[in-house]
Amino acid sequence: MTVIVPVGPQHPALKEPENFRFEIRGEEVVDVDIRMGYVHRGIERAMQDRTYLHNVYLSERICGICNVVHTNTYCQAVEAIAGIEIPDRARYIRTILLELERIHSHLLWAGVAAHEIGFDTLFMYFWRDREHVLDIREAVSGGRQLSATNTVGGVRRDIKLEHIPRMLDVLKRLERETRRYLEICSSDPTILSRCEGVGVLTKQDALEVCAVGPTARAAGVDWDVRRDDPYAAYGDLDFRVVIERTGDVLAQILVRLGEVIQSIEIVRQAADRLPSGPIRVDPPTRIEPNEAVARSEAPRGELLYYVVSNGTDKPERVRVRTPTYGNVLTWKRMFKGCTVAEIPIVLASIDPCMACTDRVTLVDVERGRSRVVSLEELRRWKKW
Amino acid sequence: MKASEVIQLLEGLIEEVKTVGNRRVFATASKERFREVLQRLREKEVRHVSTISGVDRGSHISVVYHFDCRPCLLNLRVDLPKDNPEIRTITDLFPGAEIYERDLMEMLGVKVSEHPDPRRFFLPDDWPEGVYPLRKEVKQP
Amino acid sequence: MVGVAEFLFSTLIFPGLLFAAAVGLLYIGIDRKITGRLQHRVGPPIWQEFLDFGKLLTKEDITPAAAQGAIFDFAPVVALGAVVTVLLLFPVNSVQPALQSVADLIVIIYLLNIPAISMMLGGYASGTPFGAVGAWRYVVQLFSYELVFVLAILSVVARVGSLSVSGVVGYQLANGWLLFDPRLWPAFIAVVIAAQAKLLRVPFDIPEAHTEIVHGPLTEYSGPKLAVWRLVYCVETLAVLGLLVNLFLGGPVSHTIAGVTIPGVVDFLVKVFALLLVTTVMRNVMARLRIDRALRFFWTYGLLLVAVSLVLVVV
Repeated sequence: MTVIVPVGPQHPALKEPENFRFEIRGEEVVDVDIRMGYVHRGIERAMQDRTYLHNVYLSERICGICNVVHTNTYCQAVEAIAGIEIPDRARYIRTILLELERIHSHLLWAGVAAHEIGFDTLFMYFWRDREHVLDIREAVSGGRQLSATNTVGGVRRDIKLEHIPRMLDVLKRLERETRRYLEICSSDPTILSRCEGVGVLTKQDALEVCAVGPTARAAGVDWDVRRDDPYAAYGDLDFRVVIERTGDVLAQILVRLGEVIQSIEIVRQAADRLPSGPIRVDPPTRIEPNEAVARSEAPRGELLYYVVSNGTDKPERVRVRTPTYGNVLTWKRMFKGCTVAEIPIVLASIDPCMACTDRVTLVDVERGRSRVVSLEELRRWKKW
Repeated sequence: MKASEVIQLLEGLIEEVKTVGNRRVFATASKERFREVLQRLREKEVRHVSTISGVDRGSHISVVYHFDCRPCLLNLRVDLPKDNPEIRTITDLFPGAEIYERDLMEMLGVKVSEHPDPRRFFLPDDWPEGVYPLRKEVKQP
Repeated sequence: MVGVAEFLFSTLIFPGLLFAAAVGLLYIGIDRKITGRLQHRVGPPIWQEFLDFGKLLTKEDITPAAAQGAIFDFAPVVALGAVVTVLLLFPVNSVQPALQSVADLIVIIYLLNIPAISMMLGGYASGTPFGAVGAWRYVVQLFSYELVFVLAILSVVARVGSLSVSGVVGYQLANGWLLFDPRLWPAFIAVVIAAQAKLLRVPFDIPEAHTEIVHGPLTEYSGPKLAVWRLVYCVETLAVLGLLVNLFLGGPVSHTIAGVTIPGVVDFLVKVFALLLVTTVMRNVMARLRIDRALRFFWTYGLLLVAVSLVLVVV
């Protein structure tokens, strides 16, 4: 006999509302059905009705955690269709902000992962250190989370010289702490017993379902947009793409923590080589009919914007493919043969960002109707 | 594959080829030749579909397949008539495209034939039939 | 008449309900504060549990329509009664417990299982999959730690030759703590770990793992009933750790320092506090185990440890 255990739309393991219906036999997961759409805000459509400049701020609000990479990719796409070259200093400032974002996003994820396996002390430690990164982000860009720095044609705010030593100081401490976490995560017996061999995604599967980002790299796919399709200042900087082979949750932890260390290195190089000069050029308000695709490596993986212009000051179409959207199918493969105890950590392992994924549609009529569906489901659970 | 290699590979199958830098190729293919393009890409170990975008162009619907040829990104456009936008699924060759095609179906009303799981993905179950939010004729509330 | 008044006093005030509740809530509050400090947080004030308890009492009490009402309602009360009775049965202030009985260790072992069983019944009766899964996990967990727990106690019994707690405490008064007997060290280690599982603390908080199954059997409880469950948890902590103190750490001993006699209960509470520190640190340096690993752990390492003690003691 199989039992259907609903996880979500409201569940402590999920930080955002999504619905998973696990078919379980005893403790083993037999199948999973995924439904999205609980936080649709209709951003893609809304972008068609707003100007290019206005859309920078809209794209920033697609995702709170990775807002810089969203504005950055959007701006890259618009700059490409308008044929603008942005100043060198702007490229480096963007790189620094992008990497600071990656560091705090990965630490956030690591904390959540520790929480999912019931290791709350480690969770608190990760978040304590993430706080320092948010502090320097606030100093550099004015906002702990939303930086509002990128704009079409460059950046709006310059990095002040006096912030750099403080930033490097914090990063030095952070590097030491991260190396310690790496050591703990690869040696603590309780962590190993919860993460090793859990939620395995093979390289074959990762390629097949088009996995992106750390999820794919943990499975051994050697692909990083920063290195292979460089944008911002990544082409000028040296860094290593962190790869693991096993594809389990442990590999994901190691890849993400390894990337934190690489990101620290990138910020150091970028701060060191920061060129002087202007930080933005003026973009045109109307853009001739054209199309462009911009990609970047968000903390969660490849982020893609496809922008089509039509000669007015508003885009004809903006298509956003967020990393979690690309990784949804990996869950189906990972959950095969998992136990109920492993559901939360495997769910969390791809670092899902649901609000990102659910950006597409129009939320208008009958906002409350989706609740009716879930109540109906609840009634069904009761009968069981 | 680099941009030039992609263009060489698909010689004769694609039209309106445009290269931007050496990592972006924009091209169109007809609905009939489109399967052959997929097969050729698949033979060359291209396995990553970055996404599928649908654009309502007023008179027709463009479906843009973004294939990641590592490092080149091939953006292959297929134009479909608006009165009968129908295209065959690519999930048999690229299983990762499953959700993008479900998205395409519910948002733009493109009929993807032979799709393994044509249910809705984002829209609620009680969303009215025949209303496709990203079509031009649907006005924002 | 005096007997009845004495019985009521010991049941309701000391060492019964009032004392147990006050100390239990305070100790869990301290546990939370220490946890906070260990995690680099400020942590709640140590009287936070009292506030939580009071707040829960005033909240709305909801019984789900799908629940088996009577079992759902009575489970927490039965559990509370059982754990409070344990405190009456073992020495808290002096060698003599409040209620005297022969072979009270066996009764205590039984009584300490009642909260677990009530929780399972409450979980099954609540009518949700989370409650059912939690109860199911609790059954498995009970079968894993209980044998180790009982065998560890049995090795103490074999060592002392008495089935009553006061007998064990009296023996220790004369011959020193049983903890100082190297033959019982493995059993002590095993019983502390088993107590961790009995009290549902990390790494054995599997039945109510909240990221996995919300709150397990307690998912549907709210308001006063949840408050009673919280109280059960606090008193159970005191009871289980108190039992270990009585069996291994000499139980309550009254000291006379500079002519002032300090009652045994102070000594008892200090020792319980020391054990509480151990379990608090343990729950903060580990991740939650999976249920099958917990089972395997107790049936291999746990059993091995107590078996070593038992053999050493008997032979």
